[in-house]
Amino acid sequence: MVTDLGIELPRGMKLSNPVIAASGTFGFGSEYARFVDIGALGGVSVKGVSPKPWLGNPPPRVWETPMGLLNSIGLQNPGVETFIEKDLPLLRSHPTKIIVNIIGHTVEEYRQVAERLTNQDGVHALEVNISCPNIKEGGMMFGQDPDQAFAVTRAVRDATDLPLLVKLSPNVTSPVIIAQAVEAAGADVISAINTVLGLAIDIGLRRPALGGMTGGLSGPAIKPLALRIVYEIAQQVKIPIIGMGGIQNAEDVVEFLMAGASAVMVGTITFQYPDRMNQIIRELPDVLQSCGFASLREVVGVALPQSQKSNVQRAGVI
Amino acid sequence: MEEGKRLTCPVVARTQAAEGHVELILQSRALARAVPGQFAHILTPGVLRRPISFSRIESENDLIGLLFQVVGSGTRWLAERSIGNELDVLGPLGNGFPAPDPMKPWAAVGGGVGVPPLFAAVQKWSHLTGDRPEIIIGARTAGWVVMENDFKELGIEPIVTTDDGSKGQKGNVADPLSLWLDNHNEAQVYACGPIPMLQAVRRLSAGRATTYLALEQRMGCGIGACLACVVPTVGDFGLSYRRVCTDGPVFRGEEMMW
Ligand SMILES: Cc1cc2nc3c(=O)[nH]c(=O)nc-3n(C[C@H](O)[C@H](O)[C@H](O)COP(=O)(O)OP(=O)(O)OC[C@H]3O[C@@H](n4cnc5c(N)ncnc54)[C@H](O)[C@@H]3O)c2cc1C
Ligand SMILES: Cc1cc2nc3c(=O)[nH]c(=O)nc-3n(C[C@H](O)[C@H](O)[C@H](O)COP(=O)(O)O)c2cc1C
Ligand code: FES
Repeated sequence: MVTDLGIELPRGMKLSNPVIAASGTFGFGSEYARFVDIGALGGVSVKGVSPKPWLGNPPPRVWETPMGLLNSIGLQNPGVETFIEKDLPLLRSHPTKIIVNIIGHTVEEYRQVAERLTNQDGVHALEVNISCPNIKEGGMMFGQDPDQAFAVTRAVRDATDLPLLVKLSPNVTSPVIIAQAVEAAGADVISAINTVLGLAIDIGLRRPALGGMTGGLSGPAIKPLALRIVYEIAQQVKIPIIGMGGIQNAEDVVEFLMAGASAVMVGTITFQYPDRMNQIIRELPDVLQSCGFASLREVVGVALPQSQKSNVQRAGVI
Repeated sequence: MEEGKRLTCPVVARTQAAEGHVELILQSRALARAVPGQFAHILTPGVLRRPISFSRIESENDLIGLLFQVVGSGTRWLAERSIGNELDVLGPLGNGFPAPDPMKPWAAVGGGVGVPPLFAAVQKWSHLTGDRPEIIIGARTAGWVVMENDFKELGIEPIVTTDDGSKGQKGNVADPLSLWLDNHNEAQVYACGPIPMLQAVRRLSAGRATTYLALEQRMGCGIGACLACVVPTVGDFGLSYRRVCTDGPVFRGEEMMW
């Protein structure tokens, strides 16, 4: 029986289990406190935070699709100062690991927000969301170009000694090239994937359904895509991966682990079932057991090609 | 206000409220503590829950109503529930209407499925104000007028308008509201319905009445975490997007930026 679900990520970041709330779907954590045992989660990645408040996109901001959800929230957030003052104190009262997702429109903004969050009581790691438009470079997303992804990661790396996650966009021809760039720039962990660019049309209004026109697709519809990307990256980088995209249950978590992820994040399903992450954590030992594993370490990367397995298994799991 | 919880609530009655409209009555002590204007976020087979307001709140026997129009997959599934089925609900959620000021004239204006939360408010508070509240309910067509008889059972005769004139006055709720406002000073107007109707209510009431508008928006979490359900409001520095699920659903008219 697997009794210890604990994992250790680089820079001594220990999680009690590999299930983390995904950024943007769990607010700043405390909103869910009455529905979820937050302390039992491996970690919480909070809503993206920028140096100054961001307004976000016009509504509607969500649209249901078959087995998926399109969103164009537009990264509305109150800015890092309000986060530190109001939201962080509420969240850090829960015994879980707090990962702050950070966003910016320029390399300098990413650096600023990283610096501000370093040495804040309760901030255990930063997750760099590189799916933001770079306003200096004509609005192309940082995460779509290896040089820009490198530049942002390096700037944040130089600004903090916190464990650094970099969250990749699937909206590129080769996520592996971006993954290699951020690894070279000093990322400790890769989070994959962010949402998949999509569109819905409101046929009554004869226009795109979302106020932001296009949106990011999440939920079960993207799970195969996310698994494929994790599986590809796991074969080409040495740092651990946190996998996500459409996870609904403990079996899905095992799929991501087998594809080479050391931990997972869970997002959209929480809207339907706020306590599903707690349930997954409770059920994971049994599912691992029934698949014939005695520890978490054994399962990570088992589905990878033979030559790649040992490479991935050193990646962080105790 | 009551903190929302995740609840399992049995359906104890189901009625065909109008053409294509169903009302389910659920038994739940926690939901029956709701304030009118609050809502339930209900699990249906889709990827998102569906928000529905309380159409009646009967705290003495732990019953609440959900009255909805069948417009898509979620409401179709809900309409197929029958007595004994259970619903998985987050609720009660959001900020409801304030109790009306007993010293001021009160009107409640509902359009379509905006009527149910107003009925809940009138059911709870109509004894407070000296005069009975003025009720104006509008619908596209006669078959879609909801809760008229419920108001009558409270002893209040609602003014009914239909766009096609098939019942009551032809036109929308704006004309009777305008007339009422002409004859009542320092009034309070509660409204729920489509955005153009709410905009008209706000415009007509400006400078004459305090307005409380119950808004709808497409939601994700329903509890304030995802920032999906925002509406444009007047902030300290201009436009500010605020959440219907936790900052609303009820806003004061002057807070809206439209
Ligand atoms: C606070 C609040 C209270 C509401 N109260 C009532 C009520 O008392 N009676 C009633 O009939 N309706 C009410 N609505 C509208 C109701 O939520 C929608 O009609 C319903 O969600 C439609 O779901 P569907 O699956 O049938 O339609 P679909 O169009 O298939 O739904 C697709 C998605 O869009 C969302 N959606 C569609 N229309 C609306 C809408 N008007 N508002 C918000 N989300 C929408 C759905 O929730 C779902 O996520 C309320 C909405 C809100 C926000
Ligand atoms: C409403 C919503 C908001 C999101 N906001 C963010 C965000 O601020 N930063 C980020 O890195 N990812 C954000 N994401 C992406 C999720 O963290 C996650 O990568 C994605 O949804 C896939 O996981 P899921 O299918 O389990 O939801 C958001 C997703 C949703 C649905
Ligand atoms: S629906 Fe998530 S914040 Fe309102």
